[in-house]
Amino acid sequence: MVVGTGTGEPMYDFHNFSLSTTQSLLLNFVILSIIVLSLIRSEQSLRNQSQWAILFLLIIFGVSGRVLMDPIPNVQPVTVLVLLVGAYFGAPRAMALAASIALASNLIFLGHGPWTLFQAVGWGVIGLMGALLSDRIIMGERVRIGSLAIIAAVSGFAFNWIVSLSILLEADSSMFIPYLLNGFVFDLYHALGNVLFVAWIASPLGEMMARHRSSPEFEAVREVALN
Amino acid sequence: MSDFLKPASIVALVGLIIMTPSIQDFLSEETSRFVEDSESSHDGLPTEWDNKQVLCVYFPVEQAHEEYSQGVTMIDEDGVELGVNIDLNRTGACVGGFEGFSRGLDFMMNSTRLAGGALSVGYDVGQWGPFVHTIGGLNADKLTGDFNGAYWSLDHNGVASMVGIGDLVLSEGDVISWSIGTW
Repeated sequence: MVVGTGTGEPMYDFHNFSLSTTQSLLLNFVILSIIVLSLIRSEQSLRNQSQWAILFLLIIFGVSGRVLMDPIPNVQPVTVLVLLVGAYFGAPRAMALAASIALASNLIFLGHGPWTLFQAVGWGVIGLMGALLSDRIIMGERVRIGSLAIIAAVSGFAFNWIVSLSILLEADSSMFIPYLLNGFVFDLYHALGNVLFVAWIASPLGEMMARHRSSPEFEAVREVALN
Repeated sequence: MSDFLKPASIVALVGLIIMTPSIQDFLSEETSRFVEDSESSHDGLPTEWDNKQVLCVYFPVEQAHEEYSQGVTMIDEDGVELGVNIDLNRTGACVGGFEGFSRGLDFMMNSTRLAGGALSVGYDVGQWGPFVHTIGGLNADKLTGDFNGAYWSLDHNGVASMVGIGDLVLSEGDVISWSIGTW
């Protein structure tokens, strides 16, 4: 490495690395781990039972997870996150979270366009599904990993097909089936990626959400409903 | 459940990543059956190219190609100019009369070569396969105007191709064409 030798040779350009996909994935994984650990610390210091604070932290997690996992297509934690928020906090908050993550990650990093709307709607539907299937996703305060894994896998396909509807804006409807067929492998990526995130992060995420679930009256209603 | 699922999900995902190229090849071929070889995609092209493979490149009005600024120049598979069709309301060039190509990128590189450098292609190979940025000296990334961005857009038999040029599977008589799209 040549750094300022005084012989007129250029300084080593430290930002001019070109990384392979695997390398950038590893790098991003490290960055994501730092973000997640910091968020976990932040969550522990949330004194009040404010849902909005935890939802804000989850949005940061969703955006950074989506952007940093970009090297593997369709493998990102947002779908599982939205399902869990739907189950723990209800459909409206899940939809707000879904749209915020889609907009923020596209606007800042991934590219914003008409597809953002379809992604927001797609994840909104997943959030609604999470809320409706809440009893299958959560038992007591804990996540039911097995049934969440199945729901998450199905959600992967559902989300991709909803987003695929966007091609109808410019292509004929007869193109829809071949378009879906052609994207099947990416649907599989999304489904398997979701199962992976369910296996690894759903339980801690669920515990975190359970701690912040409640305005008292909401808690009361849930307890009545459970008994 | 989670104890089993943690390793299993990693194994499954890695398996999928490894198998992706062969799955995608299979799917591309299945998909190509849906793209009908519409007769109308040969409209305006020389009749001797019927049932032959053709590649066309169209340039935007503001960035007309130096050599192909009047109508659409037709170049046959020996590199001979057959003529210019000035009734197509666009400008550019078509190279045609080919048979037997099945890989999109292979066809593109071989056919554009016949224009003797005037249609030379520049592409980057990224995560999604080859991505064409330049044809005939026009780099879509450098275009500016009343749009967010521009790209070379690929049509297969008159409709927007569902796959990139690297995944496109051709059959006999197919026409592919490139034009600038914006978003």
